[in-house]
Amino acid sequence: MYNLVIKDIKLGIHPTFFVMPFLTGALMLIPGWIYFLVLLYFCWITIPNTFGGFKAQNDLLFTAMMPVTKKDMVKARVSVIVILELLHIVIAMLFGILNLNLYPHFVYHFFAPHMAFWGLCFVMLAIFNLVLFPMYYKTAYKYGGAVSTAIAAAMLFAGIAQWIGVENSAVADAFNGAGAHNTALQISILAAGIAIFIVFTMIAYRMAVKRFLKVEI
Amino acid sequence: MLALDIRNLNKTYNHFQLKDVSFQLEKGYIMGFIGTNGAGKTTTIKSIMNMIQVDSGEVHILGKNMAEHEIELKQEIGCAFGDIDFYTRSKIKTLTEAIKKFYTNWDDQTYNKYLKRFKLDENKKIVELSTGMKVKYSLALALSHGAKLLILDEPTSGLDPVSRDDLLDIFQELVMDGEISILFSTHITSDLEKCADFITFIEDGQIIQSSEKEAFLESYRLLSGSQSQLDQVKEQLISYKINSFGFTGLIRSEDFDPASDLKATTPNLEEIMIYFAKREDMHV
Repeated sequence: MYNLVIKDIKLGIHPTFFVMPFLTGALMLIPGWIYFLVLLYFCWITIPNTFGGFKAQNDLLFTAMMPVTKKDMVKARVSVIVILELLHIVIAMLFGILNLNLYPHFVYHFFAPHMAFWGLCFVMLAIFNLVLFPMYYKTAYKYGGAVSTAIAAAMLFAGIAQWIGVENSAVADAFNGAGAHNTALQISILAAGIAIFIVFTMIAYRMAVKRFLKVEI
Repeated sequence: MLALDIRNLNKTYNHFQLKDVSFQLEKGYIMGFIGTNGAGKTTTIKSIMNMIQVDSGEVHILGKNMAEHEIELKQEIGCAFGDIDFYTRSKIKTLTEAIKKFYTNWDDQTYNKYLKRFKLDENKKIVELSTGMKVKYSLALALSHGAKLLILDEPTSGLDPVSRDDLLDIFQELVMDGEISILFSTHITSDLEKCADFITFIEDGQIIQSSEKEAFLESYRLLSGSQSQLDQVKEQLISYKINSFGFTGLIRSEDFDPASDLKATTPNLEEIMIYFAKREDMHV
């Protein structure tokens, strides 16, 4: 499993995609933006490009010839994508802290980058993973449908969440208003988001394995 | 001891079927796996490697069941599908670095020895290698992790005669001390005449015959005679061709009456393959 992760990082994924978290993370410095977009860049750019790379490089056959199980092949690939997701989110969080310090008196119309917002981001990526992996592992090389559907699902969630955040005063208050300074509330929303991320990704992994075992390489 | 023991493999696709494929390869020998394009060679090899799910049947490698000991056995197998067509823009060095980590018995010394022997430059990219060099690189990888069974799908296709001959010499050298066994599929039958000990012939998803090479050839006769003589043997022939002088046809040795006045010769592998393929056409 570990070898497969290293293989993907060294051979399969272009180094640019490990620099991307810093580039997209810097977008957090745009004042008052819809910050869901920062992580959506990962879904829009990094995912289709890396999956396209795997397909073009014939990674599936290459990996299948190594002494590894099909289950480990899925586990490693999911882990690698999760590593990239965490890199994106953690670096964006750091830029988010910078944002809050740079513009202390800014009035945020959309979600401000407080901790609770990152909880929502984890949920968005959770939904993305839940759609992406099971669909992708029907063939383990066709990624178009899986990526588009996963992006659509993630954007739908982000759109609805942000809409509620603007329209509903209680939610607006929890994320941007007084709730922003309620550390317990902020941490619990973030923790809930992380929990959902873990659960959804685990479910996605299991479904993906089940499907991949039936794939003929 | 059997290096490879395949028992009753069955696999049904929409337009193709592997039917009860069974054959055995003794340790320390070279087996040629022949058949026309689409006869089921690659499907069989992929079933051996557990890359496709067979409907029924078992594969035993070096005495162990592949389904139960997949990881352990894949350490002992060197597998190559034609030439390398993955990560072609990476350097040999980069690819080897990634691959060697998967193998517990990887030996750098052996690897370097084969690189030198095959004149492979580690700094070259896969795409810059000729077909022959790619096959040699696959071999170098397989041998460096101490593979006991080499499964090679069409390793000689696309090579020039000199490189092919060179590769066949290497194969023979490898099996010399009886540790390594080779199964290689090909449709270039002359390669097998040079180096194979056993022949397994597959046609339309079924094993026609699997035996020692000479016995394989001896079990068929190539007949030729006039048109009128054709009627005497027509029923027994596997298939035949008619030409201006009469006919030529393939027959199983046991069906052939040596007392007849037909001219009979021992066919070569290519002729056997052609007449079997023609049989399929005649039945359609």
